[in-house]
Amino acid sequence: MTVLLEARGIAKTYPGGTVANNGVDLTVRAGEVHAVVGENGAGKSTLMKILFGIEQPDGGELLLDGKPVHFAGAKAAINAGIGMVFQHFSLVPSFSVYENVVMGSEPRAGLRFDRSRAIAEVRALSEKFRLPVDPLPPVASIPVGQQQRVEILKALYRDARILILDEPTAVLAPQEVEELFVAVRSLVAQGRTVIFIAHKLPEVLEISDSITVMRAGRTVAQVKARDVTEQSLANLMVGREVTLKVDRAATDKSTVRLEVAGLSVDHENGTAACADIDLRLRAGEIVGLVGVEGNGQQEFMETIAGHRAATRGSAMLDGVDLLDLPVLKRRRAGLANIPQDRIAEGLAVGATLAENMAATRLSDGGFVRHGLLDRKAMKANAASLIEKFAIRAAGPDAAAGTLSGGNMQKVVVARELSEAPKVLLVSQPTRGVDLGATQFIWKTITEARDNGAAVLLSSADLSELMALSDRFLVFYHGEIVAALENDESVTPEALGAYMLGLERQTPEQIRAVSL
Amino acid sequence: MIDLLSAVFSFAFLVTVVRASTPLIFATLGGLVADLSGALNVALEGMMLIAALTAVITSVYAPWYVAVLAAVLAGALFGAVIAFFHLKLKADIILAGFAINILASGGTVFVLSLATGGDKGTSINLASKSIPAVDLSFLAHVPLIGPALSGILSGHSILSWLAALSVAGLWFFLYHMPQGLWLRGVGEYPAATEAAGIPVNRVRVLALIASGAFAGLAGAQLAMFNYVGFTRDMTSGRGFIALGAVLLGARHPVGAMLAALLFGVFEALSIVMPGLFSWIPAEMIVSIPFAVTIFALFLFSYRAMRARAMRGG
Amino acid sequence: MSASRSNMWKSARAEALRALTALAMALAVAFIIVLITSKSPVETFGTLLSGPMTSKRTIGLWIDDVAKLTMTGLAFSLVFQARQFSMGVQGQVYMGGLFSALVALSPIGTTAVGMPAAVLAGMAAGAFYGFIPGYAKARLGANEIVSSLMLNYIAVNLVTYLVREPLVAAPGLLSTPNFPPNTIFPALIERTRIDLGLVLALLSVAAVWFALYRTSWGLKLRLVGHNARFAEYAGIKANFIMVSAMTASGALGGLLGAMFVQGQSYGKLLVQFEGNLAFEGILIAIVAKNRPLAVPIVALFYGYLRQGALIMGIRTDVPTEVISVVQAIIILLVASSFKFGSGKLLARLRPAKPVTTTGAGA
Repeated sequence: MTVLLEARGIAKTYPGGTVANNGVDLTVRAGEVHAVVGENGAGKSTLMKILFGIEQPDGGELLLDGKPVHFAGAKAAINAGIGMVFQHFSLVPSFSVYENVVMGSEPRAGLRFDRSRAIAEVRALSEKFRLPVDPLPPVASIPVGQQQRVEILKALYRDARILILDEPTAVLAPQEVEELFVAVRSLVAQGRTVIFIAHKLPEVLEISDSITVMRAGRTVAQVKARDVTEQSLANLMVGREVTLKVDRAATDKSTVRLEVAGLSVDHENGTAACADIDLRLRAGEIVGLVGVEGNGQQEFMETIAGHRAATRGSAMLDGVDLLDLPVLKRRRAGLANIPQDRIAEGLAVGATLAENMAATRLSDGGFVRHGLLDRKAMKANAASLIEKFAIRAAGPDAAAGTLSGGNMQKVVVARELSEAPKVLLVSQPTRGVDLGATQFIWKTITEARDNGAAVLLSSADLSELMALSDRFLVFYHGEIVAALENDESVTPEALGAYMLGLERQTPEQIRAVSL
Repeated sequence: MIDLLSAVFSFAFLVTVVRASTPLIFATLGGLVADLSGALNVALEGMMLIAALTAVITSVYAPWYVAVLAAVLAGALFGAVIAFFHLKLKADIILAGFAINILASGGTVFVLSLATGGDKGTSINLASKSIPAVDLSFLAHVPLIGPALSGILSGHSILSWLAALSVAGLWFFLYHMPQGLWLRGVGEYPAATEAAGIPVNRVRVLALIASGAFAGLAGAQLAMFNYVGFTRDMTSGRGFIALGAVLLGARHPVGAMLAALLFGVFEALSIVMPGLFSWIPAEMIVSIPFAVTIFALFLFSYRAMRARAMRGG
Repeated sequence: MSASRSNMWKSARAEALRALTALAMALAVAFIIVLITSKSPVETFGTLLSGPMTSKRTIGLWIDDVAKLTMTGLAFSLVFQARQFSMGVQGQVYMGGLFSALVALSPIGTTAVGMPAAVLAGMAAGAFYGFIPGYAKARLGANEIVSSLMLNYIAVNLVTYLVREPLVAAPGLLSTPNFPPNTIFPALIERTRIDLGLVLALLSVAAVWFALYRTSWGLKLRLVGHNARFAEYAGIKANFIMVSAMTASGALGGLLGAMFVQGQSYGKLLVQFEGNLAFEGILIAIVAKNRPLAVPIVALFYGYLRQGALIMGIRTDVPTEVISVVQAIIILLVASSFKFGSGKLLARLRPAKPVTTTGAGA
């Protein structure tokens, strides 16, 4: 088979210093299914954005049909025959399936939008590539799996030779995955090429011909699917070294701080996000929630934090059920929360640091008396946090928006830790953070634990979880499928097997460690 | 009561309703185009006012159709001004819109005063023209239905016919032309249209210009048919009522027309009623369209919220 | 500390400079218009710029205007800070004026508490009128712009009817009888319109500033305005804040109504008493960047210009309304950087870079 698309030594550093790609090679042959695998943060998405012209590489080159190409934007990539299906679809919800497919290159009859021809063309396309979907209903009314087909049809309608699917199975139920694979095979059979980004290994092995493995922004292996096993692929993906180490003090873990029983949470569309979660969280420990993204751990955290309603269950913090309380009262009960999207959700950039650092405590006596702000206390609080967390800022009166990204993150972390919380929720603490800041944040979380906080940590970064956690709870399809103490015997491979649903412990084994 | 009924069920009343509705239909269509593209055009009021004065002054020196055209151009021009400040200079569209409204309410009086040589109230001493009514009284000769046909169809402004045509035309554009699809897509989910290679910003600019042009037609009808001549603040809130009518009409051109007709009925009643019910204060009758708009807005918002809740988010 | 203080001054100076630049550009356009339309343009423009200073009486008119512009500017600032676009100040002014008139003309009016009771009645009526669109938005999701505008028209019509019919002093007039003297704000300076209203306006500035920057309610309100998602995360009840901000703003509007009817200017309720002043608050608020302490300063400048235009309209051949051009240009120019405080106007005029993001997944 001839080489269709080739990337050589691609490098990309985002403003702010995050190195997303550094020496990425990719060789895609015509008519194959080529999987790109790697952990979250390995740089897969950045590579795909570069291939689709949304991001421009800082180094390296792209070759299409052996000729160097440069895509200034998505439109250029589309014109060159590349189509992309994002994880988050770009479909107009109220428009019908066929309208979404043809939008932007509609068949016309004079001035008119030739609807009957559009419908016929979409039908023909959907039959030809075995992507069954009714062209007529609005996309908002069809299931996610079919919406994905609409996205694929959109690319095919524009004559994409190369189709990039970004984590296409992440949003699909198992039987929908099968249907997707049928379609992918039919695409390849008709001469199209598919680049398939994934981290679920069984699927990758089932569908792909070649596999490129990425880790930490670089290509670590290019292999044929038939030459590897899940285990060997997992080893390549995860790597062996845990890059950073954190020293942890011995702590007294006798007090149960948070007791979650039978907690179930639904998605907005009514399907279950997680079901019947039982766990106990003790003072002085970090419990890491392990799992491929989208397996319910995020929803679980949001429910404890108070930003999502539970359908069943309880979450007792020192004898009080958090689920009955509004956000502020949960905080007063001793809960703190470092959210995933710290700048968009955790800060008001137009307000001062003193205000931001007091924002979550406007109903208790610390900063407010008889409805009045105690500005001295707010400023003193901010000044001490600025010093303690080495935040680079002009002072408590500086607007949060004047700080650098890393320092804004520190503001949120500092605020959440300032009250010595009993229970601390942390989501993706180091996503989008450079190495130095990572070390700082790790140290801070560990110190909180050493000082007696009970920490629930959710992260997509396995090495982070392994560095910080005392215990692991592995989420798979909204359930805890394994609970492990973090000792020498736990390897990334072992966790990976649980994360990917290859193995699961017995309920007794789980309860022995999760409670 | 009998008086009212006989007044309401007369051809004259129908003609009044159509006359009163026509500016509202245009304004509502203008609001609809902007709304569907994702912009709330609060400047319809000001654009109508500017267009009305433009039409009156132009008609002194030119035939009526040139005056209408001038009004359309004036509306479109201010649509472009808003587009420039909103899309290019990133001004908030509500503030930019109110700037146009403020400019309009003062600027029209200023220009009126210059044009009339000092009259700041009306253009009464300007020999402005009116838009001709379409006389279809010959239809009365049709056997049986002739009188009714003539009564219903005759005597409306040419622009009333154009308004009906515009509703159909806009409907065709929005639902049967590719560019209409783009417009609705840009308003609903710009990221999707951008991914499909549609020039999102150009669509938005053109939508605001079209919105202004419709407001221009509304102003022309108001000052060259409903009233002949300009009076300060003669739009008296019609541009804002149109914003409510867009919502009430379920963001569809036909719905927009029906909502505008509903308000037209109330305005027509307010024209007919004082003669019949002298005890009802005029201010109360004039307030009816505003009260109806609020009521409709609350009801519609409530229903929309319920519908969202039913869909589960 | 001192570093951030000096930063604050620097940004305040930059804001002031931008506002003055906008003012200069607007005045330049106004001058061109005067040049075209006036027979003696220099004299006319001179009247615009010096008119308010010509006599004690005109200075009084100017300062009276400043007090009222300050109130409407405050009312708009308060809702804008919460990022609500309620446009209902005009209606609140009429309702406030109406209810303070009802109290002033009632038996209470002649008692010792007549004046404060009338003021409070006006504020309560305005607050209620501001509450309606806020509550409708919180409960029904009804667009506050449209509902508040409709309420404006209803209030104006209601007042016109009541003044013309049931409350009229004598048939054919367009005003109520004069209020009892003890309900009328005493003049601070004899034979000018400068009265207690100015004191109330300045007190309101202090009160709004205090509420916004010294109370937890104010901080919550500003946080909701800055980032609604963060406010939710922090456990702030955004709906309550929104409704209470609109209600408080309504009370300010109502107070302005009372200032109109109980002030030296009228001392009675009459039709159209507000004279299109309420909407000027948009300009004041935008130029003041919704900062209560900057509101009276902006009002001082703008009130001067407004009074100058009125005098120009009376004394020269150029109508007052030319000022609306100035106003629109200032709003457009200042609002162009309304969202992004740091952007430079000239930088924005350069062609924008093509947008390259694609899809929500990008």
